[in-house]
Amino acid sequence: MNDNEILKSLRRTIIDGNPEDAIDLVNKALTAKVDPKRILNEAIIRGAEKVGLKYEKGEYYLADMLLAADAINGSMDAIKPKLKEDTYKTPGKVLIGTPEGDLHSIGKSLVVALLQGQGLEVIDLGVDVPPEKFLETAKKENVDIIGLSGLLTVTISKMTETVTLLKREGIKAKIILGGGILSDETCRRVGADAWAKDGWEGVKKIIKILEDRKNAI
Amino acid sequence: MPYDWDASRKRIIGTFFGTGKIDRVPYFPLACEEMICRITGKTYKEIISSPKNYANAAISTFEFLKADTISIPTAYAGPGEALAFAEANNKKESIKWFDYKVFMAKQGVVCKTEEDIDKLEIPDHRKISLWDTCISALDIINKKLGMGGLCLGIWSVVQELRGVQAYRDMRRNPDLLLKLCEKVYESQMDVLNFYNEEVGGSGIIFFTGYSFNKHMMSFEDAMKYEGQFIKRIQKETKASIILHNCGTTPYFNEVCNEIDLLAVNGSHPLDIEYWVNFKEKFPNVTIIGANIDVSRELLNGTPQDVENKVKENITNLATGGRYIVGPICCLPWGVSLKNIMAIPKAIKKWGSYPLNFN
Repeated sequence: MNDNEILKSLRRTIIDGNPEDAIDLVNKALTAKVDPKRILNEAIIRGAEKVGLKYEKGEYYLADMLLAADAINGSMDAIKPKLKEDTYKTPGKVLIGTPEGDLHSIGKSLVVALLQGQGLEVIDLGVDVPPEKFLETAKKENVDIIGLSGLLTVTISKMTETVTLLKREGIKAKIILGGGILSDETCRRVGADAWAKDGWEGVKKIIKILEDRKNAI
Repeated sequence: MPYDWDASRKRIIGTFFGTGKIDRVPYFPLACEEMICRITGKTYKEIISSPKNYANAAISTFEFLKADTISIPTAYAGPGEALAFAEANNKKESIKWFDYKVFMAKQGVVCKTEEDIDKLEIPDHRKISLWDTCISALDIINKKLGMGGLCLGIWSVVQELRGVQAYRDMRRNPDLLLKLCEKVYESQMDVLNFYNEEVGGSGIIFFTGYSFNKHMMSFEDAMKYEGQFIKRIQKETKASIILHNCGTTPYFNEVCNEIDLLAVNGSHPLDIEYWVNFKEKFPNVTIIGANIDVSRELLNGTPQDVENKVKENITNLATGGRYIVGPICCLPWGVSLKNIMAIPKAIKKWGSYPLNFN
C-alpha cells in the first residue's frame, strides 16, 4: 500500500469502528514515514467527521459512535508520541465530569472519546464530582472548556452550584452543559455558556467555541 | 375531607379503557424519592425505614400533589434493580446513598467483565430488605386505596449493570449482551412474581423503555434488546403495558406498530402536532404527558406558563378521552411549588368533561 492507500484504509477503519485495525494502520503509516500531522488530519479527523455526519443522518447510533471513538483513541495513542516530537499543539484543553449526586457515565464517556478523537486534551473527573473539584482542577490545569454532563433533572441544581462557584472564582473557561434534560432556558438559568442535547452536538459546540476563540485572538 | 382515591381510580381506569363517564382529565405525576423527601421533610432512609412509613410518605406526597395515581418510586427498574443485583453479587460498594434522594449505582461496575455476566446471580427480591419494604408498602397502598401497579424495564437495568460497555457489546458481542438482557428479564420476572404473591396480579405494568429512543439505538436494536422482552412479559402476564421514555426522540409511533400498548408516557417531541398525529393514528393508546417537560415551563416559567402548557395539551389531546396530564421526568428541587401546583389547578380549570375552552 502507498501512503494514500494506508491513510484511506485508516479512515475507513475509523468509520467502521475497528480499533485494532486502526492501530495497526497507524503503525504501518508511521513505519512508512508518513507525516504524523497528515495521519491526524487526513485520516483520523476526516474519519471522525464522517462518523459525525452519519450520526446526524441517522445512519449511525451510539454504539457505532462509541466504537469509532475507540478506533480514534487507539489511533491517537499510537500517534501521540510522534506528534509531540513534531511539537504538535492540542487545539484545546477540556475538563469534563458529571456533577455531584449523579453517577451516570455513558454520555460523558462518549463525549470524552469523541473529543480525544478531535485531538483535544481531555481531563475526565469521572462521576459524582463536587463543585470544588471542578474549580480546583480548572485552576490547576488552565482549561479552555468545562463540560458538565448530567442525565437527571435532579442534577440541575448541582450544575447551577458548580457554575456559580466557577464564575465567582473568576474561571474564564467557557462552560458547556450536556444532557437531554436541558433546554435554552435551563442553560440560562444555570448560568452556563452553552448546552448540548447529546454527545455529538456537544463535541461540535466545543470545537466551535475553540475555533471562535482562536479567530478572536 | 379524605382524599377521594375512588374517584381517581375511576378517572384513570375510565381513561385507559374508555369505560364509564369520566369527570375530568386525570393527573399522573412522576414524583421520585426527592419529591417525597421534600414534601414530607424526611430523609430517604427514614422514609424506607418500614413499609408503613414508605406507604404513608407516598400517600401524603401524591395527595399533596393532587394526583390521581400513586407510586413507590424505588420499586423501579433502574437503581432499585441495580441494588438488587449488587447485593446478590457481593458488589454493594457500587451503590452510593444520599440523604434526600434515592441511592444510585456506579454504572458498569456489577457487570464489568464477560465473566461477571456469565456468573451473574439473579437476585431473590424477597431476601433483599429494600425490595421487601417496597413490595410490602405497595401492598399497604393497594389495600388502603385500591391502587396498584408495577414498574419494570430491561435496558434501564442493563445500562446500570454494564454501563457504556453495553453499547460496545451491541456491535462486537451481541450474544453476550443478549445473555445479560435474558438475566435481567429473569430478574424482572422475579419482581413480578414477588409482587403477585404479596399484592396480587398486576393488571397494568409501567415499563421504562429507555432503549426506545433514536439517540440511543436503532429501532431494530431497541426491539432486540428490550422490545422482545416486553412482548414476552405481556404474553406471560396478559398485563396492559404503559411505555415510558423521556428521551428527546422516542420511537412511540414505531413501537405501537409492534407492541400492543395501553399508553405511552413521554415529554418529547415538543411539537404538539406530533402528539395530535399520534392520537389520530393510535386512538386507543392513551397519551400520558405529551410535551410537558419539567426542564422548560415547570423549571423556568411562571404558574401561568405552566397553565398554558397544560391547557395546550388538554385542548389538543383530551377530546374523547385517552389523555392524562403528566409532566416528565421527575420533578426536581428547583421546580417551585407554585409551578408544581399550577398543574392540578390548570386541570381543574380546563380539564373537566365536557371540555370547554372558553
